[in-house]
Amino acid sequence: MYNVSQELKNKIMLVNKVLLDKYGEVLSMDRNALRDYINSKVGCILKIDKFTDEELKRYTNLGGILGVDGSKNRMGGAHPHFIEVYQGLAKSTLHKERPIYKVDFYTPLYSEEEETNPLEENTEEDQRISNKKLAAIEIEAALEGINAFNPYAVMMDGSLIRYKIVCSDKWQELKEECERRNIILVGIIKDIKTSIIRESIDEDGSIPIKEFFYDRELLYGLLEYGEVILTNINTKKEERGFTSLFMRSSQSPTVIGMDILNSQQSCLLEMARLVFTLTPKASRGVPLWLDIIDSEVKIPDQMIRGLLESYLDRKILEMLFISERDKRTM
Amino acid sequence: MKVVGITTQQEVYVGSRERNFRINEFLIIVDPHQGDLIGEVVEARTYNKYIPLNLNGDLADSSVLQSLKAIGYNVEEDTIYIARVRLLNEAPYPVEAGSDVRIPQFSEVKDLMINCSVDEGLVLGIIKNTDQMALDMDEEYKNLLCTFEGGKIKEQKDIPYIFNIKSMNQYPHIGIFGGSGSGKSFGLRVMLEEMMNLNIPTIVLDPHFEMDFSELGDYLPKGKTIDYTDKFRCLQVGVDVGVRFEDLSPQDLKNLLDASSPLTDAMSNVVDILFKKRDSYTSFYNRVKMLAEAQEEGSLDRIARRIEESTTDLERQGWQKRKELYLNYDKSCPYSSVRGILWRVNRLYNEGIFNNDIRKIEEGLNQGKLMVIQGNTRILQVFSTYLINNLYHKRRSYKDGQFNNSSSEYFPPFVIVTDEAHNFAPKGYECPSKSILKEISQEGRKYGVFLILATQRPTLLDETITAQLNTKFIFRTVRGSDIATIKEETDITEEEARRLPYLQTGDVFISESARGRTVFARIRAAHTTSPHTENPFDELKGKLQEGDNKFYQIIKDKLPINGDDFINVIKEIESETGKTYTIGLFEEMLDNLVKKGLIIKEKTPFFNVYKDKI
Repeated sequence: MYNVSQELKNKIMLVNKVLLDKYGEVLSMDRNALRDYINSKVGCILKIDKFTDEELKRYTNLGGILGVDGSKNRMGGAHPHFIEVYQGLAKSTLHKERPIYKVDFYTPLYSEEEETNPLEENTEEDQRISNKKLAAIEIEAALEGINAFNPYAVMMDGSLIRYKIVCSDKWQELKEECERRNIILVGIIKDIKTSIIRESIDEDGSIPIKEFFYDRELLYGLLEYGEVILTNINTKKEERGFTSLFMRSSQSPTVIGMDILNSQQSCLLEMARLVFTLTPKASRGVPLWLDIIDSEVKIPDQMIRGLLESYLDRKILEMLFISERDKRTM
Repeated sequence: MKVVGITTQQEVYVGSRERNFRINEFLIIVDPHQGDLIGEVVEARTYNKYIPLNLNGDLADSSVLQSLKAIGYNVEEDTIYIARVRLLNEAPYPVEAGSDVRIPQFSEVKDLMINCSVDEGLVLGIIKNTDQMALDMDEEYKNLLCTFEGGKIKEQKDIPYIFNIKSMNQYPHIGIFGGSGSGKSFGLRVMLEEMMNLNIPTIVLDPHFEMDFSELGDYLPKGKTIDYTDKFRCLQVGVDVGVRFEDLSPQDLKNLLDASSPLTDAMSNVVDILFKKRDSYTSFYNRVKMLAEAQEEGSLDRIARRIEESTTDLERQGWQKRKELYLNYDKSCPYSSVRGILWRVNRLYNEGIFNNDIRKIEEGLNQGKLMVIQGNTRILQVFSTYLINNLYHKRRSYKDGQFNNSSSEYFPPFVIVTDEAHNFAPKGYECPSKSILKEISQEGRKYGVFLILATQRPTLLDETITAQLNTKFIFRTVRGSDIATIKEETDITEEEARRLPYLQTGDVFISESARGRTVFARIRAAHTTSPHTENPFDELKGKLQEGDNKFYQIIKDKLPINGDDFINVIKEIESETGKTYTIGLFEEMLDNLVKKGLIIKEKTPFFNVYKDKI
């Protein structure tokens, strides 16, 4: 048995109470009312169906689908004594034997970019660079994949807008390349962080909600298996050149998001059907193809550690990247 | 194929992307430092990282896998095959991880697989999962046999399993274990066929009347069968063979009586006192009987009166004799023991044991034949005790005679075979046949007398004997206690023991002391079939049909039969065939034929008419 302090227990019970109070409103909200609201004000709820094998074969002839994902591993302690390794992978359904890997690393101790003072505690800056590097190698992998395989579509793991925000110059290159070659570019978002429905409700005022809710919370359990929401309101996203939709792609009640370039808007439903087809019914809602790439791009922490141990000088490694925490044995 | 993961000196894992592994397959590991190491697959698995077994997580359904395939990605190709391989001989160092692995050539494993030539050993079957190595096998080992697979005859593709019978000289005695229907009796049959091929003198104790080799298997292709008719003989105890009373020693007789029903000390004493050398059955029986009758009279006075009252000389002499016996033996032989001996002797006599003698068996063995001794289990127990004792000592005195220069008549070495061996050498209680089997199990090797014991309950077999069985054939076994015994008595591994309940009929683990390891084999198709192979339910159906047809033949000429005319028809039939039916039964049987569709029944206003089918 674990020893649990009474205080910890009380605190957790308190959290439960607070959250129940806040989300009681969502949990007790009339499902149909919200659906009606979405249908009239946000966009439309559509039911889509899966592709048949025949239809899918078309993609084989058109160049297959390129899936892109990235991973990062971190070793070491607090700023600046850590190192992060990024790996991006682009893989075509037609050329499984030719995965394209891109690798980069970051440590605040050595920076190629602007002169930062490593002595300055700057976690936010670290985070920014980390995100940028990760997005950059993913885009690089995608670009190389496009050149190598000329796919019909590129499926990125994560929202497209993220690439635009954190790594705009490379993103521009990818976007233009795709538009020039007529390659459909979509982003699959596992964890949606938008709040467009709430914003719309606030503007509209027809449904009284006091608290602030994210789309993820409002859409939980709202859609049926295979239903999508095509939004037609002007969101911030659209202003930046993207169109998005929400979809319940598996039996899990959470929804996933998809975004696409405005210029390729017409292909959005088609891509939604493709994603729906490739997603196992009893999964978290992510296409199996992206899960496969995800599992291949991930590097086990132990392997990174092993690599660093083999190729870094022991002195350097011990001095810089082994945190006290790592040495702990209990 | 490559060695993967953590390795040891005894065991490695081998992984492959292309080739699935089979259990008991042999592989050669090309260790760059230690040279070629040979190992056997003891566990085979496959794994696909994209189709994991995750009970409460994602599960990729087949439609998605199918869809992925349609857009060009076949997840199934990512399956990897993993084998756990145990080295046959421990390596000096752990095997180098990453070593290449390949399938051995026949020449590399020949010594492991085959340790005797085809015409000197028993060709019992194939070594399973060796087909790839058998491709470049020497011609002499090809096409030796056929196997049964899924009810069909299959040509030999694997390396043959040849039992080196000469190795019995060092590693004597064979045990055959397996539950009913596991292929045990059929394995025994194949073994006996091979012994006949080699003309090895053999005695088979056959309580089931099944070891008949005259019916050839019709499933075998022409030219593949061997005729054994003049290589064996079936002899029934009490009909063809028996015990010659005149040859019995007091010990033999006691053994026989004991086998019939256990003797008390007093009874053995009675035999010692009353049995005289060269007694015939009659002389011994009369002596015992007269003593008993005298003791029934109760006293000398009463016997004296009997003598006086005798009306004929014969009767008087009889009572005189009884008086003598009474005077000599009454004190040493209590009446109840005398009676006990009397009814035991009588019982054996009635069973016919004292008819005939064992000469036919001796002759057969001298000619290198297989002698099948048939009888029910009890009578076989009695007779085999005498027979084996007798033959074993004949062989023994010949061999001993060679050393102490007393010349004894030649008697060949021989093999004793029995099914249901736990009846002849049970664990836990004494039984006359057990002591001789025990003696042979321990000393028979020196005299060239060997045992082949088959049983479905190795746990019930005497432990001293089990321990002496140097080769064990283990067929499917389900009982936990028997598996435990097998594990204790053989070198089969934990994994193999776990597979025992699931073995196919005819698949067998052969644990041979001579090889020092266990071979997984399949017994070949027998050349001959057991007389008991007809399914009893088919038999019932056949008999019913036969009955219907017989009845139909009888009434055929009488058709059409009118319902009011049964009496006359029955009378006619009775006069022609002597068979009588009651009217009720006759009608029932006619209706039965109607049901079977052999005749038809027409209803008229007055009675039914039974007609032949048109």
